[in-house]
Amino acid sequence: MKLNLIVAVGALGAALIAQPGTGVAKDVKLLNVSYDPTRELYTEFNAAFVKYWKAKTGDQVTIQQSHGGSGKQARSVIDGLAADVVTLALAYDIDAIAEKSRLLPLDWQKKLPNNSSPYTSTIVFLVRKGNPKGIKDWDDLLRPGVSVITPNPKTSGGARWNYLAAWAYALQKNGNEELKARDFVARLFKNVPVLDTGARGATTTFVQRGIGDVFISWENEAYLALKEFGSEKFEIVTPSLSILAEPPVAVVEKSARKRGTEAVAQAYLEYLYSEEGQDIAGKHFYRPRNERVAAKYAGQFSKVKLITIDEVFGGWQKAQKTHFGEGGVFDQIFRP
Amino acid sequence: MKLKRWLAMGLVAASGTGLSVASEDSTASIEALKNQIQELDQKLRILERKQELEKEASEERSKNAAVVSAGPTGFSIRSADTNFVLRLRGGLQADARYYDGGGAANDTFLIRRARPIFEGTVFKNFDYRVMLDFSTGTSSSAANNGFLLDAYADAHAYPWLNFRVGKFKEPVGLERLQSWNNLLFLERGYPTQLVPNRDVGAMVHGDLWAGGLQYQVGAFNGTADGGSGDFDTADGDKDVAARLFAHPFKSVDADWIRGLGMGISGTFGEHGEAPRGYLSPGAQRFFAYRAGTGAAPNVVADGQVWRVSPQAYYYWGPFGVFAEYVISSQELLQDGGGPGAGAGDEIQNTGWEVSASYFLTGEANSFKAVTPKRPVTLAVGGGWGAWELTGRVGALDVDNDSFPIFADPAVSATEASSWGVGVNWHLNRNVKVQFNYERTDFKGASSNPVTSQDENVFLSRVQITF
Repeated sequence: MKLNLIVAVGALGAALIAQPGTGVAKDVKLLNVSYDPTRELYTEFNAAFVKYWKAKTGDQVTIQQSHGGSGKQARSVIDGLAADVVTLALAYDIDAIAEKSRLLPLDWQKKLPNNSSPYTSTIVFLVRKGNPKGIKDWDDLLRPGVSVITPNPKTSGGARWNYLAAWAYALQKNGNEELKARDFVARLFKNVPVLDTGARGATTTFVQRGIGDVFISWENEAYLALKEFGSEKFEIVTPSLSILAEPPVAVVEKSARKRGTEAVAQAYLEYLYSEEGQDIAGKHFYRPRNERVAAKYAGQFSKVKLITIDEVFGGWQKAQKTHFGEGGVFDQIFRP
Repeated sequence: MKLKRWLAMGLVAASGTGLSVASEDSTASIEALKNQIQELDQKLRILERKQELEKEASEERSKNAAVVSAGPTGFSIRSADTNFVLRLRGGLQADARYYDGGGAANDTFLIRRARPIFEGTVFKNFDYRVMLDFSTGTSSSAANNGFLLDAYADAHAYPWLNFRVGKFKEPVGLERLQSWNNLLFLERGYPTQLVPNRDVGAMVHGDLWAGGLQYQVGAFNGTADGGSGDFDTADGDKDVAARLFAHPFKSVDADWIRGLGMGISGTFGEHGEAPRGYLSPGAQRFFAYRAGTGAAPNVVADGQVWRVSPQAYYYWGPFGVFAEYVISSQELLQDGGGPGAGAGDEIQNTGWEVSASYFLTGEANSFKAVTPKRPVTLAVGGGWGAWELTGRVGALDVDNDSFPIFADPAVSATEASSWGVGVNWHLNRNVKVQFNYERTDFKGASSNPVTSQDENVFLSRVQITF
C-alpha cells in the first residue's frame, strides 16, 4: 500500500505540473471523427492547426482522423468511440449523439457561428467524359438504361443530401405533390445498381470500378475526382436545383473534458473559421463561409439554385424521421 | 466496246450499292454487339462490386460479432471487444472407495463432485462466477445452501486492486485454495479441515510486483473449521481473514528457484456455532465434539476463534511439493447437561501436511492444471498422457484439553496421522484418472469401530472437467 501511495502522490504531482499556466509544454491527442470525403481536407487542415497551436501555446497536438459514412460514424461515437470532435455530414447525426449519449448539449449548434457549419457544399452529378447518356438534370436520372450511383441513405450523410435534393426537385416540378415526389425518387433508386455505405465507397464504385453512368456526388468529392483522375475522364453536370449542404462540427464535450482536451478541441474547430481554415476548405472544393475567402474561390463553383433543408423539409429531425427512420419513406420505396 | 464499258460500269455501280447496304448492316451489328458487351461488362462489374461490398460488410460484421469458442477450458461466448464474456464450465468426479480390513464405512461408489460453472465478465471490469454442486450427499442447512458453492462478483480495476463480494473460498488454506480439479489426492489433507471453506463476505485482493506478492483481506460471516456458510445463524460477529503469498524469485533467470512460493494466512473473530468434527482420508469421522439435547452434553463455540497457517509450495520441472501447517484455536463451551455442563476452555488443534508429486512423462508440474505433452487419443500414434506419482504425509492433532468435556475419548481419537501414495493419469487436459492408497493410524477412541484399527483405504476417481 505504501508503494501505491507513493505512486498516487507521484501521479498527482505529475498532473499538477502538467496543468495549464505552469509553462510546461504538453502533448495533446485529438480524435476527429468525420465523414467519408473529408480525408484530404482534414489532412491539410490538421497540419495547419498543429503548426498554429504549437506557435500559440508551445503544445504539441497529434490529431487522429476517423472516416466513414456519417450515420455510421455517429453510431460509433454513441457506442463509445472516444471522439474529441465530430465533423459530420449533417446536423441530424450530431443531434443523435447529443440525444442518445448526452456527450454534448442538445443546443450544440449554437456553440459556433453559422449553426456550427464552417463550410458548405452541395450536390452535383459526375458523369463520364462526353456525357454519353446526355445527363442534364434530375429527370434524366430516371430514364431507362441510365445507371445511377449513390450511397445508402441509411448509412451515408451524403446520400441523404442526394435523396433530399432529388425529392426537392420533384416537389418543385410537380407543384409540391408529395406522392409524385415519392414516385420520382422511387424510380430514381430503381436505377441504382449498387448501394455503398459511404460517399467515398460510391466514388470508388463510379470512378475506379467504372460502374454507372452518373454519380450523384458531394460537389467537393466530384471536383476531387476530376482533380485526381483527370478531366479527360469525367465531367461535372450541375442540375437546375440542388440543396445547400451544411456539414456541421462540434466538440464532444464530455469525452473531451474527460481526456483534458476540451480547450484544444474548441480551438481546433474555431480555427476552421479562420482565414487559413477557410482557405483550406476552399482549396478542397468546400464552399467557405468567410465572404472574402468565398469570393476567392467563387470561380470554381457553378451557379445553382439551392434550397435548404429547413424550408423544404422542416429541418433535419423531421426529414430524418419521415424519410430515413425505421419504416420511413426510403424503406418503403427501396427494395434491393 | 462502248456497250461493254457501259455494262461493266453498271455492274460495278450495282455491286457498289450492295456493298454499301452490307456495310451499313454490319456497322449496326457491331454497334449492337458493342452495346451488348458494354451491358454485360456493366453487369459483371456490378456483380463484382457487390461481392466486394459484401466481403467488406462481412469483415465489418465479423469485427463486431460475438465469438463463440469451445476448447479444453470450456465453452465461451464473448463480445468482439471482449468486454462481455460468458463461460460455461463444469466437471464430474466419479469415485470408488474400498476399505481394507473393514471399518464403519461401506465400500462404495459415489459421485464426489458434479459441478456446473457459469462465469464471465460484464462491462470489462466486472467478473462473476456461479458454481453449483449436485453430487452425492450435498445438502442444505439453515446456515448453508450446500448446492451453491460459489456465487460472487469481482470488480478489477487494476491488477493490484480488486474487490470481491459474495460467497467464495476464504483466503486461508493453501490446499483449500487449489482448484478441486487439480488436487493431487482425492481428498484434501488435514490442514484443510482446520480452515474455513466457502463463506459469504467481501474481500480486497490483488497482485503486486507482477504477481511477486499476492494479498487478500476480507470480512466474512465466519464458519467452523472446514465449514461453509452463507447465513450467520449463530452470532452476529464477523471474521477477518487475510493472506499474503509471495513468489520471491518469480522474475529471476534460474529455473530451479523460480517456482518457490510461500506465505502466511489467518482468521480472527468471535464464534457461536457448533464446532465441526474431523474426517480421515477415507472420509470416516474419527473425531466429533459432543452434540446433544436436553440433559445430554452439547458443545458450542463461545468466544474468540483464530487460525494461523504458514504455507509454501515449490515446483521445478516435473517435480512439485507443497506443505501447509494450521493451528486453529477456539473457545468452547459445554452448554448442555451432564458432565462438565457450563465449562468452557480454549482448545488448539493443529494439522499439517507435506505432499509431493513427480511427472514420469516430463510435464512441468504446477499448482494449477497440467497439460499432458502427449495426450491419449484413440488414433494410431496417440500418446500415453501424463503419468504422475504422488505421495503425502500428514497429521491432525486434537488438543488433549478437549477430552473428556468437549469430546468423548471413547469414540473420538486425539490424533490421526496418515501417509499415502498415488498415481494420477492425465489422459488429456480434461480427463484424469486417480488411484490412491492411504494408511491412517489413530490414537485413542478404542471403542469406535473407525478408530479402533488403522484405516487402509483404496480410492479411485475418474474426473472429467471442461
